[in-house]
Amino acid sequence: MKSPWILHFDTGSCNGCDLEIWALLTPKYDVERFGMVNKANPKHADILLITGPVTKKCEERLRKLYEQTPEPKLVIACGDCASTGAPFMDCYNHNHGVNNVIPVDVFVPGCACRPEAIIDAVIIGINKWKEKAEAMETNVSHEDKIMPDDSPRSDQ
Amino acid sequence: MGDLTLYALAVFLTLTAPLAVGLLMGVDRKLTARMQNRVGPPLLQPFYDLFKLLGKERRLINPSQAYFALGYLLLEGTSLVVLAAQGDLLVVFFLSGAGSLFLVLGAFSARSPFSQMGAQRELLQILAYEPVFFLIIVSIGIQEHSFISRDMSQNLIVTLPLSLIALVAVLVIKLQKSPYDIAHAHTELVSGPLVEYSGPYLATVELARWAEIAVVFGILTLFWNDPEPVAALLGKMVLVFAALFTTLVIDNVTARLTRRRMVTFTLSFGIALVAANIIWNLYLGQGVGI
Repeated sequence: MKSPWILHFDTGSCNGCDLEIWALLTPKYDVERFGMVNKANPKHADILLITGPVTKKCEERLRKLYEQTPEPKLVIACGDCASTGAPFMDCYNHNHGVNNVIPVDVFVPGCACRPEAIIDAVIIGINKWKEKAEAMETNVSHEDKIMPDDSPRSDQ
Repeated sequence: MGDLTLYALAVFLTLTAPLAVGLLMGVDRKLTARMQNRVGPPLLQPFYDLFKLLGKERRLINPSQAYFALGYLLLEGTSLVVLAAQGDLLVVFFLSGAGSLFLVLGAFSARSPFSQMGAQRELLQILAYEPVFFLIIVSIGIQEHSFISRDMSQNLIVTLPLSLIALVAVLVIKLQKSPYDIAHAHTELVSGPLVEYSGPYLATVELARWAEIAVVFGILTLFWNDPEPVAALLGKMVLVFAALFTTLVIDNVTARLTRRRMVTFTLSFGIALVAANIIWNLYLGQGVGI
C-alpha cells in the first residue's frame, strides 16, 4: 500500500495531538514521501487519524465518518485521550477512548503523541493493510453498494 | 504514412496519452514538493493512488452516479481518439466539453452541499475557460485554413504567441491550480465535484480527468510542427514541459482568487489576447487574409 489517504478527526482533543498531526505535513516530516495526503473526506480516506477521548456529542459523528469510509480502512487512535481517555479519567461526558466507539487498529501513546510516533503507527497500519484487503475479499460483496445520504442537513 | 500506420499510431496515442498525463501529474507533485522545500512523493504516485482506488469497496450514493462517471470517461476518451487520429479540432473541443458536463451532472446527483457547490463552481469554470479555449482553436483554424489537425504544418508558436499564453490560462483552470482552483478548492470545498465519489468510481473520474488534460496538452503540441519527426517530437515535449512548469510556478506563488475574478479575467483578458492575435494576423501584420 503506497498511497494511504488520511482523514483527521478531532473528537474533543485539546488540539495538542492535532498540532502534531498537522506537523506531519510540514517540510520537516513531509509524509507525502509515503504517498500520505490529508484528504479531509471520509469517502476518499483509507486511514482515520482520530484524536481526543470521543465526547458524547462527537460519538455519532465519529461513527458516521467510520461508516462512510469504504473498506479496506484503518483507524489509528492518536494520543493518550484517544487510546484510553486517561487524561480525563472519571469524566461523565466522554467515551474513554476511540476503541469504545469504533474498532481501532493502532494506538499511539503520548500526551501529546510525537509526529515520529504517528508516522510509525501509519507504517505499522500499512503492514496490516494486506490482511485487511484479504478480509475485505471474503466479507464485502463485489457488487455496487448504494448508500444514500439520508442524514439531516442541519447539524443536530 | 499508410492508413494502417495512422490507425496504429492513433490507438497507441489514445492508450498512452492518459498514462503520460498520469506521469506528468507525478512530475507535478514532485516539483511542487521541491518548490515547497519538501522531498515529495515518488514519480509514480498518481498510479499508486489509482490502483489503490480500484481495489477499494464499490460504493455509490445513487445508481446514476456510476453512469455519469463512465460517461465522463467515455466522452473524454472519444475526444482523445479523435485528436489522436488527427481529426477535427472542433469535434475534439465539443466532445471534451460534453465530457466535463457529465462530471457536473454526477456532482449534482448527490444532495451533499459540498457536491452541489462543487458542481456550481465547475460550471462557472467551464463558463470561464470554454470560450477562450474555443477561440484559441478558431485562431488555429484561421491560421492554418483548416480545423483538421492532420493539416497542421506551421510553427504556430511564432504566429499565435498570444493564443499560447491564453492556453496557459486555460491549463491553469483545467489542472485545478491556484489561483483558479475554484471547484476543487481543497481547503474549503474538500474536493468539489469529486466529494461524493469513492473507490473505483473515483478512479474512473480521475482517469477521465487525465484524458481531459491529455486533450489540452494535445492541442498545445499543435503549436510546434517540424518536417523532421524527431525535432517535431522534441519541440512538442519541450512545449508541454514548459507549459506545465509555468502553471506550477503560478500555482505556487499565488493564492486562490474568487470565482468572479476568474470569470472576469478569462472572459476579458483571455479573449482579448486571442482576439488581438487574430486581428494582428489578419489585418495588421504579415499574416494571411481569408
